[in-house]
Amino acid sequence: MTCREFTEAAEALTPSQLRLMQAEGDVLSAHAGECAPCGRWLESQRLLGSALQVLRDQTAGREAGPKVEQAVLQAFRMQGFEPVAAVAPERAAPAAWKLSRFFEVGAYAAVAAALIVGVFLGEQMWRDRHVQPSGVQAAKALQQVRPDATAPADSGNQSANGMAEIAHKAEHSGTITTAIAGGRRVQPSNARAAGTDVDRQGFVALMFCDPLICSGEEQVIRMELPGNGATSAEGSQPVIADVVVGDDGLVRAMRIVN
Amino acid sequence: MLAEHTDEQLLRMALDGNEDAFTALYRRRQGPVYRFALHMSGSPQVAEEVTQDVFLFLLQRGRSFDPERGVVGAYLFGVARNYVRRAREKSHTEAMMTTPAEDDDPELVTNFDPVGDIARSQTSAAVRKAVLSLPEHYREAVVLCDLQELSYADAAEALGCAIGTIRSRLHRAHEMLVRKLQNSAPARAGFSGDAARCLS
Repeated sequence: MTCREFTEAAEALTPSQLRLMQAEGDVLSAHAGECAPCGRWLESQRLLGSALQVLRDQTAGREAGPKVEQAVLQAFRMQGFEPVAAVAPERAAPAAWKLSRFFEVGAYAAVAAALIVGVFLGEQMWRDRHVQPSGVQAAKALQQVRPDATAPADSGNQSANGMAEIAHKAEHSGTITTAIAGGRRVQPSNARAAGTDVDRQGFVALMFCDPLICSGEEQVIRMELPGNGATSAEGSQPVIADVVVGDDGLVRAMRIVN
Repeated sequence: MLAEHTDEQLLRMALDGNEDAFTALYRRRQGPVYRFALHMSGSPQVAEEVTQDVFLFLLQRGRSFDPERGVVGAYLFGVARNYVRRAREKSHTEAMMTTPAEDDDPELVTNFDPVGDIARSQTSAAVRKAVLSLPEHYREAVVLCDLQELSYADAAEALGCAIGTIRSRLHRAHEMLVRKLQNSAPARAGFSGDAARCLS
């Protein structure tokens, strides 16, 4: 073994390992016995290992005092950890809890919104159902009106009678006249729901009208239309018709009065 | 039962609120941390402060520990190393480290062999003084590898450097220690005056 090989091998060992390496037949020891400088170096490293061993032995049992343990454990208890039983959810628990709180608030808001919408729609439907009879009454009143009627037919249908008078006057003037009925609406969709486009009062639906879309105000208007000589047997005699007009101005139903 | 758990398992349980696990981990690791701080600072008081700070740090920042990067022991040594530096900068213990109190520790003296104990005590004091006088990088390597008996890999992890760096620092530190002990009266007898290397 050369000195360089000895150096490379010896430097891979700690002083303690060199100190414990006392075997007679050891290659390092053999070279150290032949080479004085390497022998002195090896001996110094062994002595260093012994000295470090003395220091290590004398401090081996040294520990921090009990006050340190008390302080550390007190700090642990002040950390506010959850009880051990709550180990199962592990670290995801706080985040899940925050998410559940978020969704809980969102669920409350959604329920509140659904209640508000439900009340609104219910009120609309209730109003529509209760208003319908008056519209039917108005339609009936209009149906009872004849152009030659001069006396009030019913004290409860003052407006219809007034419209009839207007229509009668318009007949004499020869112009197209409109009269607004007192009733609010007639629902042609009811007739359609019954499987026919003709209402019981004789109104004929002119357009598709979804109840949700056509839920606004409707008016029954009596109109005097110019007659068509080609199709009418009475020549150019004007035609009186009741027309149901929605808020959007579109005609939804119509009935020929004469 | 907790004695069978690894340090990593104890740390995870402790951070989930298990006080018994934290106590077990503390009692298992406080000794090496204390001795590392003691050898690095030369002061039992600083060593206790550092030990306490290390485990308080573990409570607050323990979740930053990554088991894939190393073991808890080396992690604690790395934290302790920083607190020793901080304590030295704060309290100016550098002077104390160069002149350590050699005989202020009654635990270091035994009662069985007075002559041998005195010799060992003198040797121990000389070695301790020599270790404390080493530059910090070399002292860390000697304390971790020679006194705490860590492997080169664990020491490299604790100090945040390569294993080769640990080897070279140790080699250099041993040479410096031998020279210091040659000049030290109590230990002079064992160390020859000529430790020159033959590189033929």
